[in-house]
Amino acid sequence: MEEIQKFLVFRKRPNEEARYERYEVPKRKGMTILEALFYIQDHIDSTLAFRYSCRGAICGSCSVTVDKVPQLACKTQVSNVKTAKKPPKLPEFHYGDISDWNKEEEILVEPLPNMEIIKDLIVDMDPFWKFYREVEPYLEREWNDVAPESSQSSEDAKSIENLVYCILCGLCWSCPVNANNKKYLGPTALAKGYRFIADTRTSDEHREKIIEKVWQVNGVPACEKYFVCNRVCPKGVKPGTAIKNIRDKWSKNE
Amino acid sequence: MKVEELDVIVVGAGLSGLRAALELSQKWKVAVISKVHPVRSHSGAAQGGINASLGNTLEGKEDSAERHAYDTVYGSDYLADQDVVQFMCEEAPKIVIEFESMGTPFSRLGSGLIAQRPFGGAGYPRTCYAADRTGHALLHTLYEQCIRKEVTFFDEFFLVDLIKVDDQITGILSIDMASGELIIFRSGYVILATGGFGRTYKRSTNAIINTGDGVGAAFRAGVPMQDCEFVQFHPTTLYGTNILITEGARGEGGYLFNNKGERFMKNVASKAMELAPRDIVARAIDTEIQEGRGFENAYVHLDLTHLGAEKINERLPGIREICIDFAGVDPINEPIPVQPGQHYSMGGIATKFGGDYCETPLAGLYAVGETASISVHGANRLGGNSLLETSVFGRYIGRKLLEKGLVALPSIDKLERAEEAVYKEIEDLFNRWNNNSGRRPIEIRDEMGITLDTSVGVFRTEGALQEAYDKLAQLQKDFENVQLPTSEREFNFGILRNLELRNMIDIAAVTAYAALWRKESRGAHSRKDYPTRNDEDYLVHSLVYKTEDGLKLETKPVKLGKFEIKERVY
Repeated sequence: MEEIQKFLVFRKRPNEEARYERYEVPKRKGMTILEALFYIQDHIDSTLAFRYSCRGAICGSCSVTVDKVPQLACKTQVSNVKTAKKPPKLPEFHYGDISDWNKEEEILVEPLPNMEIIKDLIVDMDPFWKFYREVEPYLEREWNDVAPESSQSSEDAKSIENLVYCILCGLCWSCPVNANNKKYLGPTALAKGYRFIADTRTSDEHREKIIEKVWQVNGVPACEKYFVCNRVCPKGVKPGTAIKNIRDKWSKNE
Repeated sequence: MKVEELDVIVVGAGLSGLRAALELSQKWKVAVISKVHPVRSHSGAAQGGINASLGNTLEGKEDSAERHAYDTVYGSDYLADQDVVQFMCEEAPKIVIEFESMGTPFSRLGSGLIAQRPFGGAGYPRTCYAADRTGHALLHTLYEQCIRKEVTFFDEFFLVDLIKVDDQITGILSIDMASGELIIFRSGYVILATGGFGRTYKRSTNAIINTGDGVGAAFRAGVPMQDCEFVQFHPTTLYGTNILITEGARGEGGYLFNNKGERFMKNVASKAMELAPRDIVARAIDTEIQEGRGFENAYVHLDLTHLGAEKINERLPGIREICIDFAGVDPINEPIPVQPGQHYSMGGIATKFGGDYCETPLAGLYAVGETASISVHGANRLGGNSLLETSVFGRYIGRKLLEKGLVALPSIDKLERAEEAVYKEIEDLFNRWNNNSGRRPIEIRDEMGITLDTSVGVFRTEGALQEAYDKLAQLQKDFENVQLPTSEREFNFGILRNLELRNMIDIAAVTAYAALWRKESRGAHSRKDYPTRNDEDYLVHSLVYKTEDGLKLETKPVKLGKFEIKERVY
């Protein structure tokens, strides 16, 4: 007999009240939350909306909250949800009334925290991208295609390696500051700013500009050092540590 | 009916689309239309690297564009067009250096130059990399530069169909996914950069979004598909999820073992061993599994344990993460279970009519990257050449169109008539889906995927291909009567995925059709009933057209002349 996994999924249409729907999904070995969501979409309700792309934890599309833990749906095994160790000291996320959630049996799937919900598990990421753009996250050199390439020591390249692997998934917006301050640039943009501040190829002039940007009132100074971002990051980017590094090494007044 | 007017439309925001848009947006009004946010594009999943004969390593000192071109043509089993290959390989060092200048965080050698690793079918260490997340690094770099240059994006807009007046493209019909509204983008130039169509197969390394939307739309508009029988099966995809395990894992020294503990590659490529090209390694693995020397009759072992923790953590950190997260295997301690899976579409929209490399037979319509069959990969693509193709030809087509200058559109009433017709056709289609009582999309999608996996896979035979084609033709008929609720329009992925299926079902049928026609074995197309290459009859590209009487196949000569045709051994 096939084993069934029960799900309780957050649903909402634009301009309608939120609700929760129950679904039963046949379990398969190695099944991820993303696959379970596809099962529901394919077999039960084709209108269930969620973002996805690579299903291999590199595109950053499928961030959701599973059993109150923000995570990538594609990287989360259905069979592990109830037993996995949860990151410590996460804030509480509230989306709607879940008083009848059967915590032992049902996997609860809700959207990414601290963003406006558009439909079901899809949130409005426009503010996220706006703040990302705000820190001018790019190298501002003239393009050049004539050999040789500019040189960078292996150590310098490695020093930003964990930062460049950010997949812009938005999970670090689970930060309590993001919940309370809609103008907060957020851990992603600040870590991205630091990725370019710390890149030895960045010009002094552009570095100054980025430093200026990340030190605005709703940037680095707004961070309250919860380090929730570090704990939920699926790629080891450690945005909180990046923010700390900006504070320690790149103070605006220097 | 909302209409946006532009100088040029780029559909797709992976490396090809972004690179083209960067070039064009410096002078023209450009919009990049993409069904996902640009950084979600599948280019970001590429791992191993991008080829360029920089000669940065000691072992690679003698490398050259010429040698790169030779390896590419030889690897293609001579089906690649040699003029475009030569162009691509000459551009390669420039495009990689340009990426670096844009900020790509490449891994570095002790000298401070860009690091390069050996890859399958390459004479020298030629593959430039950023650990094992090269695609991610390149995609983010181009997106960053697009932000800097203020490129205009329409994110989460889905390409439905092309619009043409007589034989000139005049725009596209798209869906604004958030609202579900149908929107017209009007332009005399459309560049399709929508990636591959690996999701026609069930066992694929491809992102779920790789459904050939540009290819499907062009095919419906009468543009032929070229070389679709050539499907690359990556030898090492993770057993269970078929997530890609980069060729770089073998480039860094990984071994393949069967259940007898033998490095079976010695039987088929005694010199190149694990670094033979993908088609050869995939066939070797499939043979081991079919002849009972695999594990659980499904996979072989890719062993990295002898590389040691330090090297694995430095060069292959992403692979380690994937293995731990998706298979519960830490490659530092245990071998990785791998099997071949669909990976790349050598075929695609036929281009190179009338001189320009990316030009299709429909005036104003261009294709670039995996969407196109230009053809630089011929019958088998070498690892590290796909990232290269995207950016070389993205830049090329941008520059080319600027050179050509803007085109005049037909009269407004002709335009509007064409737009209204396409608009109405799609509204009618949605209504039909809503009222139909036939099969559900998932049944058709699953059967299509399983049919291709089992009958149009690594090894092929007449009987299985004929059965597959018949089955796919039946599924096309089933699709006519597919049922799906369409009244809710906001972010309705049921509708979007059914539109994807509409594209894939045609492509799948063309794949089987072309594979059935090609009675020889060349590169990735391996016919058990015709086990050798037959240059006399088949050293030609296949072109498949959609006509009122069904599919029609023509051939197109391969551009030869530079490299002498030889037998292919590694």
